[in-house]
Amino acid sequence: MRKTNRIAFVGFLAATALVLSGCSAGTATGKSGGPSESAGPVMGGDLVIGRAPDAITMDSTSAQFENYSMAVFQQMGQALFEPSADGQKVVPLLATGFKASDDGLTYTIALRDDVTFSDGKPMTAKDVKFSIDADTATGHSGWGFVNDAIDKVNVVDDHTVGVVLKYPWAPIIGDLSMFSNAIVPENYGGKTVDEFYKAPVLTGPFMWGEWKKGQSLKLVKNPKYWEKGKPYLDSVVWNVVPDANTRKLQLQGGQIDINDTPDWSSYSSLDATAGLKTYAFPSTRIDYIALNTQREPFADVHVRRAIAFATNRKALVDAVLFGHGTVANSLLSPGTPFYDKDAPGPMYDVEKAKAELAQSSQPNGFKTTLLINSGNANHAAIAQIMQAQLKEIGITMEIKQLDSTANKQARLDSKFDMAISAWTMDIPDPDQWTTFALDPEGGSHSAFTYYNDPAVIAINKKAQREGDQAKRAELYKQLQKETGDAAFLVYLFYSPYAYAATDKVQGFNVTPLGNYHTGDMYKTK
Amino acid sequence: MSSRLNFIPARLLQAIPVVFGVTLLVFFMAHLLPGDPAIAMLGDKATEERIAALRTQLGLDQPIWVQYGIFLAHLGQANLGDSLTYGRPVTELVLRAVPVTLSLVLFALVLSMVIGIPLAGLAATRPNGVNDLAVRTYTLVGQGMPQFWVGIMLILFLSLKLRLFPVGGYGSNITDHVYYLFVPALTLAIALSPTLIRSLRSSTINVLGSEYIATARSKGSGGVALFRQHVLRNAIIPTVSILGVNLGYLMGGSIIIEKVFALPGLGSLMLNAIFSRDFPTIQGVTLFVALFVVLIGILTDVVYTLLDPRVNFGSKERE
Repeated sequence: MRKTNRIAFVGFLAATALVLSGCSAGTATGKSGGPSESAGPVMGGDLVIGRAPDAITMDSTSAQFENYSMAVFQQMGQALFEPSADGQKVVPLLATGFKASDDGLTYTIALRDDVTFSDGKPMTAKDVKFSIDADTATGHSGWGFVNDAIDKVNVVDDHTVGVVLKYPWAPIIGDLSMFSNAIVPENYGGKTVDEFYKAPVLTGPFMWGEWKKGQSLKLVKNPKYWEKGKPYLDSVVWNVVPDANTRKLQLQGGQIDINDTPDWSSYSSLDATAGLKTYAFPSTRIDYIALNTQREPFADVHVRRAIAFATNRKALVDAVLFGHGTVANSLLSPGTPFYDKDAPGPMYDVEKAKAELAQSSQPNGFKTTLLINSGNANHAAIAQIMQAQLKEIGITMEIKQLDSTANKQARLDSKFDMAISAWTMDIPDPDQWTTFALDPEGGSHSAFTYYNDPAVIAINKKAQREGDQAKRAELYKQLQKETGDAAFLVYLFYSPYAYAATDKVQGFNVTPLGNYHTGDMYKTK
Repeated sequence: MSSRLNFIPARLLQAIPVVFGVTLLVFFMAHLLPGDPAIAMLGDKATEERIAALRTQLGLDQPIWVQYGIFLAHLGQANLGDSLTYGRPVTELVLRAVPVTLSLVLFALVLSMVIGIPLAGLAATRPNGVNDLAVRTYTLVGQGMPQFWVGIMLILFLSLKLRLFPVGGYGSNITDHVYYLFVPALTLAIALSPTLIRSLRSSTINVLGSEYIATARSKGSGGVALFRQHVLRNAIIPTVSILGVNLGYLMGGSIIIEKVFALPGLGSLMLNAIFSRDFPTIQGVTLFVALFVVLIGILTDVVYTLLDPRVNFGSKERE
């Protein structure tokens, strides 16, 4: 019995020691060895990316296709054009170039002649016509609405297509770079749509591997990839790791190579960890507060401006992004073409805020609520700071928390006063966002604000059809000023995309649209 | 002895209304949540038109009673429907997640006994002695610490500092699973063991004071043999029912642990399903968990009956 006692007691001590030493192991422990620079890309290896959600679908034309599905799909699927690395323009990918007719109604696009699908079949103009038509056919129940301006696609010869428009449409090449216009084999290679997208055969550097839903998704090297010498990696795996803390620990433990979206609060400590590297890529993201102009007193522009002037954006950047961001002065983000860095805001000015409120229908202040996502630490921080700032000018703001789905429902039903939201671009053209944000016909009643100014809508429509870049720039400059003055959206800040990776990961770049190309990446040993 | 297990068929029959009640409750509670799967799936860029189209496609525009009827009709054919998020049969998703959660819970149970039984024995040998106080401190601390924190601390120490175990994940074969599940199971075991230790300690103290132990000692029995054959066998009976009840909680606790350790089990599946309003998956997981808890209840009674000859659930004259 004595012996049993001793063993059990030692066990207890060990358990206690373990718990206590766990407490002191709070400081990050990185891997030894510094970054190893090598002469050229290293062939082979598996890249593992940890992120919170899983992809939803690989059908890039379906309405369910979203950012997390996109990140995977874009390693396999390619369109005729793609956004440039800086996100400011569109460059050819499966095309070699295009020529627009003088009336701006026909775009003749030349295709590469060396592209094959991962099953070895060459890509031709017939596949291109089929792909764009299939996307267009999904209309407003999928992503096909981006092709609204397209009248028809003609096969000119094996390596040339003609895209005929219903009306001049400046963003067309940007639209053709969308994931939903990725090139698939004609008639899905004889499969049904559903069958095809369960294991898609596409033209990119990686091809379909295995998907354990809710757990991991794996793509493997496409040995028939048309860009010679690429890809370098054998495979890319996306693991579902819902907890940000666990992702951080898995990166430190070497179980994942890239941590997608680490918390800003842990960003600096990750950066300081040996063997790890953090990235903050310029993005097209803008965080804003939507003001419901259907509800009193937000129909009054002076009330809206008072709130916009009362918002101390620098304080938000410091508290929410730990300094990793910039204050927002425009509807457009710096990563978006035609962004005007001199757009007037409104910017933080308490005196102006008070003056606007004095001129408004509510000179003595009022009570309102701010809708935020429950469990979202960033939203909670923004809300608390806003609450204090609005208090200064006499506005009492309550905070209402709903989980993200219920929150979206409340915005759809227009059951909110103020709501925090954010936007990122999918194409390198401001139109996708401006139409959503300010045109009541854009599908969301002007980002759920019900803002409706015919003069501003007219500027937006004019910019859509303006082929001359300088004139377009002027129109968007005017638009940024007008929307700022109207203050139906209170612009908060522009934040970069945060990533952390081991220093073995090379060639990692995320465009302002959020795309990354694993075909250009490799891992040092 | 077998006649004493006659209660099993009746208990299984009783389980049917319980499980049916659970499906009804969960179905309507899930639908009471604001927002639906179409909204959850489409994200912030979706237009009203696209949401409406997806609603029709998913059959969400039908009256709720019709939707429940369809669910029951499918259930009658042992079909839980397709997950709205993943587009795969719910049965397939649940069956893939069950082994993860079940192995985690069972592994945790075994570890908690490995920790708990010796500690309880140690504490009971000299009540209020140094060992007893130390064990009681452990039970207090073990129960007081939040599970996610214990999990993170264990990862920091065992996985990052000592590099003995991986940081979360599940692996791809049986050996992997045991290796990957050790730290999460230990986390759960640390939370479960205090309950076990307390119950076992007090019943051990009772048993040690009883006359038949004095008799056994006088016949020369002692040490581990006495503990195993006479003390533990009698002292563990109340602990079995406590463990049975706690297994249900353990399933609940595994939701947090699965998130911390990125385990693809029932907890993760359920959590995702709730956030994305994936009604068929919510239903499927709940149904399974309800069945599991009911079965554990029955199993606890079976073990109880087998361990204690005085117990007879089939008889009206219970001891």
